[in-house]
Amino acid sequence: MTEGDEAEASTGATPRVYKPEMPRGWWLRRRHYLLYMVREFTAVPMALWLLWLLAEIHRAASGPKAYYPAASPAFIVFSVICLGFAMYHSITFLSLAGVIIHLKFMGKPVPPRTIVGAMFGLWLVASVVIAAVLIGFAR
Amino acid sequence: MAEKRITIRTTRFDPDKDKVPRLQSYDIPFSDDSMVVLDALNHIKAHVDGSLSYRWSCRMGICGSCGMMVNGVPKLTCSAFMRDYWPRSITVEPLQNFPIVRDLVIDMEDFMHKLKSIKPWIIRKQEYPLGAGEHRQTMDQIDEFRQFSECINCMLCYAACPVYGLNNEFLGPAATALARRYNLDSRDQGLKDRLPVLANSEGVWECSFVGECSVVCPKGVDPAKAIQQTKLDTTTRFVLPYGNREE
Ligand code: SF4
Ligand code: FES
Repeated sequence: MTEGDEAEASTGATPRVYKPEMPRGWWLRRRHYLLYMVREFTAVPMALWLLWLLAEIHRAASGPKAYYPAASPAFIVFSVICLGFAMYHSITFLSLAGVIIHLKFMGKPVPPRTIVGAMFGLWLVASVVIAAVLIGFAR
Repeated sequence: MAEKRITIRTTRFDPDKDKVPRLQSYDIPFSDDSMVVLDALNHIKAHVDGSLSYRWSCRMGICGSCGMMVNGVPKLTCSAFMRDYWPRSITVEPLQNFPIVRDLVIDMEDFMHKLKSIKPWIIRKQEYPLGAGEHRQTMDQIDEFRQFSECINCMLCYAACPVYGLNNEFLGPAATALARRYNLDSRDQGLKDRLPVLANSEGVWECSFVGECSVVCPKGVDPAKAIQQTKLDTTTRFVLPYGNREE
């Protein structure tokens, strides 16, 4: 067996089998596993950023006088990184829709490209609407 | 010209003697470019050590019994060409994530149990009498599920799945793909019988989409797709008012 596997042969009742355990570093063994872990990890900074957003909304609730936006260069850099992660998640997620969503139109399956295109279109529309609302409020 | 040779390391485990599995090296002739890893194991068993145990049957990628880890990757050993590894040595281990019975033989009881739990057969609310003839299907209806029916139960996808490795309760890739195969079959009416197994907490929602199952599948089944589709399906069924319609 490879190193790192913890040993334990079951005793007593036959047949005895050996139950290998996942080594702690399993995710370092294959590139694909590592990329998966990186993808999962990017959720942590995004969650932090969203928590920060909640805090900002909370402060903004007590009126314009009490409000001051975070504008330090460090925070901007952090935001840009989070934006990159968010784009990565959104793009991979929406591209998957073509594989997962099964739609039929007039008895014929809708091609995956059309579905993905529609997803990105909806994404764009939603972003524009949200931006318009935010800008509208800011005025 | 000197004969080409290759080093094969295989897991050895005798449950009566060994506490833990160990690796044993064999130096064997690599006489023919068309040799596959299974040929190497057969050579060892025939000429070097008759006690080496492993499963195989068809030698042509059909029966699904010869799956093992080849240099750390789940492979059908009858389809893994040695020329792709030579001159490096080849390490053959039992499929990861399963208990080891002996040498390269794993205990597949758990998979068999999971397979049975999704009822991989056509379920009818009421059987037609035989005299009523066959259930007819169009090519389009067959295309709906054809990909998922290619599964040969080789369990490579389970060996590739870290979620299954960490939690053996997870229903896993192939069982979900087969459930989908029957749920998409126009002749089948068993969706309601399968949903409890698919939608429970150890079902499709346990999957965090590593995606490696679809990478290693030798038959292009794409079990990861089956799982994500089932997630979507169970959700719309739950959320939409007409989602619980009888089918
Ligand atoms: S889905 Fe593919 S890898 Fe998994 S058991 Fe079936 S054929 Fe093998
Ligand atoms: S021996 Fe049958 S699939 Fe390899």
